[in-house]
Amino acid sequence: MFSLLGIVLISGFPVLIGGLMEGELRLSEYLSSLQGVLKEIWPLQEFSVMNLRTGREMFLFPTIAEYILYSLQILFLAFAAAAAFALAFTVLTMLLSEKARERVKLFLYFLESLPDLLIIMAAQLGIIFIYLKTDVLISKIAVVGGDRIYWLPVLCLAILPMIQLYRLCMLTFQEEERQMYVELARSLGFSKVFIVWIHMFRNAIISVFFQSKKTIWFMLSNLFVLELMFNMPGIMLFMRDNMSPEVFLVAIFSFFLPMFLLYSVGEWFFLRHFRGKEVA
Amino acid sequence: MWKQPYFAIGFSLMALLLFGSFAFEWIFGNVPKQIFFIEENGRAVEGPPISPKWEFPLGTDQYGYDLFGKIMLGGKYTIIAALAVAAIRMLIAVPFGYLLGTYLQKHRAWIGGLADSLHYIPLTLFAAYVLYPVLWMPPEGFANGVWERIAIQVVLMSLLTMPVVAVLVGNEAALLYRKEYVLASRVLGAGRFRIIRKHLYPQMREKLAVLYGQQVMETFIVMAHLSLLNLFLGGTKVSYDPLFGDPPMSISYEWAGLFGSTFRYLQGAPWLPLYPVFFIALAILSVSFMMEGYLRSKNPQVKKRKGIASPSENIVEWNKEQLREKMIRLKNPHDL
Repeated sequence: MFSLLGIVLISGFPVLIGGLMEGELRLSEYLSSLQGVLKEIWPLQEFSVMNLRTGREMFLFPTIAEYILYSLQILFLAFAAAAAFALAFTVLTMLLSEKARERVKLFLYFLESLPDLLIIMAAQLGIIFIYLKTDVLISKIAVVGGDRIYWLPVLCLAILPMIQLYRLCMLTFQEEERQMYVELARSLGFSKVFIVWIHMFRNAIISVFFQSKKTIWFMLSNLFVLELMFNMPGIMLFMRDNMSPEVFLVAIFSFFLPMFLLYSVGEWFFLRHFRGKEVA
Repeated sequence: MWKQPYFAIGFSLMALLLFGSFAFEWIFGNVPKQIFFIEENGRAVEGPPISPKWEFPLGTDQYGYDLFGKIMLGGKYTIIAALAVAAIRMLIAVPFGYLLGTYLQKHRAWIGGLADSLHYIPLTLFAAYVLYPVLWMPPEGFANGVWERIAIQVVLMSLLTMPVVAVLVGNEAALLYRKEYVLASRVLGAGRFRIIRKHLYPQMREKLAVLYGQQVMETFIVMAHLSLLNLFLGGTKVSYDPLFGDPPMSISYEWAGLFGSTFRYLQGAPWLPLYPVFFIALAILSVSFMMEGYLRSKNPQVKKRKGIASPSENIVEWNKEQLREKMIRLKNPHDL
């Protein structure tokens, strides 16, 4: 809940910074701007923003909500894809021998240092190149007009988080591998695939889940760049065009709420799971 | 540390980029070569932007400036700024984190929650939001000088995620604080400061080094992202001329700015945005090489573990074989 307070506090920051630039601390103005923001937002249906591009007032529902929905779709599709691929690759590499595993890990570790910008540009240029060579347009590289593109941005957004999650998974799985029960299962003659998939997977997934919050944070930043480079009609682009404390607050809450729900439900689920185990 | 090949490669790459940048300015001056067209047999065949050629390894920009020269000149700003941002962030966050982990343990919960709110805000957007009043040139010109602006930007960028790092360090310190040896030294009468100095800091030195490397990498990326919004290191020169307005320009030739101001040319002249980003990637790669090398030099467990693991596995295999033999014998007692 303190996170909520933190977000509200941050939305008024530019007033403070602007004051600091002129060498004065504008605390009272900061507080009053916070007050104004909260007052402005309260009846959510009536909340509206002056759109700088069209010069008209825009209401939160349904206009802005549409932007938010599109961004959230892309974000969570990419996260799901990244998580699925990362887990699949982890299970596969766990089946490899120790030596090959180290090599794969090292390779992916250096792949991780590629900036997301490079990946997005490479994807765009690659599609243009294929189009020029074969006349097949695999996907649109930018949004023009009202249509939406899905799979290319999702792919671009998913690659780096996938590598991050993969590293995380590998660390937890390898930690898990040293536990006693794995040795026991092995001595009982279970195959490696079975142990990794049934036993280790269940235990490791919990700790991966709790640490994946940071990956989503990283993805938020990437999503912003992605919307900019693909010209996607998402909330980030909207926020850039209409920068004001109110929009900032609404946009951040729109990310905060689903993430908060996801992690609360996850926590509740896993904790219940644990307790059930302990009783049984 | 220096004998680790990974660290050596990363360090020499970084040093090459940094000192190459200073040497380039010292030798060729601080204005890159400018060329207006390329002649072949007396005819102009290509005007700016000129694509990469033997003479101009990275091509030229839309005004005919040599891109290689620009990148070499700009490297020092980008690299030093990223290192400085991460260093200042660590310098503030680490003492604060230790305070949090030792003196302020009761308050850790709510401070952590407050810092956690940063996890829901896209870092780039937050940085842009905070830095916009500093970096965007108002119509009447900047109120303060370039170096002042760079200093303000570096400090602000380091403060942005400082709370997150501080809480991270604090959690780690609090974990270590509960270890037996800390308890033992407390029983022997050590103060909290002595515990930090003698136990917590040496225990966490490697983790802090890795954290620093991660911060440097993150800073590079945030700077590149900011440049997409036309917020460049040291301020953005905006032309308010309604008729012949130049596009927003970076004041120095730093890499992020080179990328951001040329991103629109991605399809026509892909080398213009690609090479600066490529150099940023190189810098990030060199940092990650250094981190990997540093870790390997500090705990060469990879080799050791292999050495222990492989014989023990042999023993298991051998036992299995033996077992199987015995079982077979048990199964067919007539053979004996």
